[in-house]
Amino acid sequence: MNSKSQEIFEVSKEKYVISGINVGMILRKGGIIETQAQKYIKDFEGYPQIVIGINDGRLAFENAKTPSLSLLESEYMLTGAKFCEELIAFDGFMLHSSAVVYENKAYLFSAPSGTGKSTHTTIWRRVFGEDKTFILNDDKPVIRIVDGKVLAFGTPWSGKTDHNENVGVPLQGICFVERSETNRIMPMSPKDAIHRLLDQTLRPQNGENMSKLLDLLDKVLSSVKVHTLQCNMEDEAAIVAYNGMNK
Amino acid sequence: MKVKKDYMLRSVAGYAVVVPVGEGAMNFNGVINLNDSGAFLWKTMENDVTEEQMVAALLDEYDVDEERANADVAAFIKKMREANLIDD
Repeated sequence: MNSKSQEIFEVSKEKYVISGINVGMILRKGGIIETQAQKYIKDFEGYPQIVIGINDGRLAFENAKTPSLSLLESEYMLTGAKFCEELIAFDGFMLHSSAVVYENKAYLFSAPSGTGKSTHTTIWRRVFGEDKTFILNDDKPVIRIVDGKVLAFGTPWSGKTDHNENVGVPLQGICFVERSETNRIMPMSPKDAIHRLLDQTLRPQNGENMSKLLDLLDKVLSSVKVHTLQCNMEDEAAIVAYNGMNK
Repeated sequence: MKVKKDYMLRSVAGYAVVVPVGEGAMNFNGVINLNDSGAFLWKTMENDVTEEQMVAALLDEYDVDEERANADVAAFIKKMREANLIDD
């Protein structure tokens, strides 16, 4: 038995509203997710629409598969995966990306880890103003269709940073980021966009949820433009991206 | 023969895409794009069919001669077999 599983945590049981969904979570006090979810605590009437909690046995079992993680890191991952799995029933999915909000529109920048998603949204904040922009979520914002509109939401699963806000904002555009010497933005064909979006989300294992995800992507792609952004780390990168997504 | 059950064909943004689910996703984590006739032939293979039945279905649906239909179906089946997507 892994010695980590002997650690004892106090538990918190709270009501949260995340991405406009009523969520009940049972979390280990002082854990990453319990800490980052503080600002999502909100009372609601009736039963939660989603319930999330990882019991000690399951946590120890899953943690043993990735021993380099602490128990609380595993809890963070597992609760995020659970939320992602349940989210599809509410017309939502999580996209591995950094999301910045400017002029009440959300811009999502997705790429494999280490490409510079967060670096790019940091440039947006510098160029367009720290007071006029904010990071909606730095790692896994939710894209969700609410009343026919495609919105991006912050979630407490925001990666290494606690950069996330509990709001939903109209989604203006998605960019897949590539590093380059010069700055250029190009529309991506829906065919390529499907591949890239599926690569950067947690794919449902069961057929029913996969079917729902594909229907959802179909709807999202009919109203949101997807681009390839080749960019460097200069101010111009943000301006090129902004102009390309506001044509 | 029929297509393996662990794959799902859907139209997304006007494109026919095939994605693996369940056990299929363990072996292959990509996306397959099909053109119009490819998607049509895939659908015929969702139920158990023979090559002759597929040719007949293609002739019924598309304005092609028999020789071309035979060749197209054979080529499609070959590709499907290479990708290990068929249960016999």
